[in-house]
Amino acid sequence: MADDKTPPAANNPYTQAYVVVSGDTLSKIAQKYYGDPALYTKIFQANRDVLSDPNKISPGQKLRIP
Amino acid sequence: MKKQSAWLLASLAALVLVGCAGQKEPAEKAFASAQAALATIHDAAQKYAPDQLQAVETQLAGVKDSLAKGDYKGALDAAPALTTAISSLKDTADAKQKDAEAAAAAAKDAWGPLSTDVPNMVAAIQSRVEVLSKSHHLPKGVSKDGLASAKSGLDSMKAAWSDASNSAAAGDFTSAVGKAQAMKAQAADIMKSLGMSSG
Repeated sequence: MADDKTPPAANNPYTQAYVVVSGDTLSKIAQKYYGDPALYTKIFQANRDVLSDPNKISPGQKLRIP
Repeated sequence: MKKQSAWLLASLAALVLVGCAGQKEPAEKAFASAQAALATIHDAAQKYAPDQLQAVETQLAGVKDSLAKGDYKGALDAAPALTTAISSLKDTADAKQKDAEAAAAAAKDAWGPLSTDVPNMVAAIQSRVEVLSKSHHLPKGVSKDGLASAKSGLDSMKAAWSDASNSAAAGDFTSAVGKAQAMKAQAADIMKSLGMSSG
């Protein structure tokens, strides 16, 4: 089983997913799921395969929410 | 007259003795045959039909007792019912063994998906708990108590998973599946409390 530092596996079907809509930012998404916009870095790190810049997300993108 | 009566009595006694001696061997053979038949199914009967086995063993003991007392007729009279009882016991044990084996095979099939699902659920919960533990404010719908409960739930699930895995490794898939299904339900509750839904 996962240890404390293990990020969710890319193909873990139980990792929460979120589809970006217009006006979203990673900070807003972090606020929604974590209550803290500063934790946007967690979402960015979990989606490095689809995000190269945390400030650049697009509507329709499916992001993993660890 | 007295000599004739004495001769008649002696003849009758001899006839009875011969009759009894004639039944002894068949009675002993019938008992030995029943005992041997029971021995071949004893282990399966003990596992799958212990109460019925006990009843048959009581019947067998009764026949043995008759033989010991020289009641060969009694033993022979009891033999057919004993044979039927042993046959019925074999049928019961066989049927229950077949059911148990089918259930075990079904459990083994069920284990496959669970052995992937449960660890994935736990990993997802662990990740979320780790992030929320760093949050200055919890998201709407998630309380401090809920987060604390999720943490302790994670610990108990890790222990339970070890237990379930050990059962599976030992071939007891029925037990493993039961434990894993309970864990899956617990994990689903925790995910709900943390505002998680799967992708």
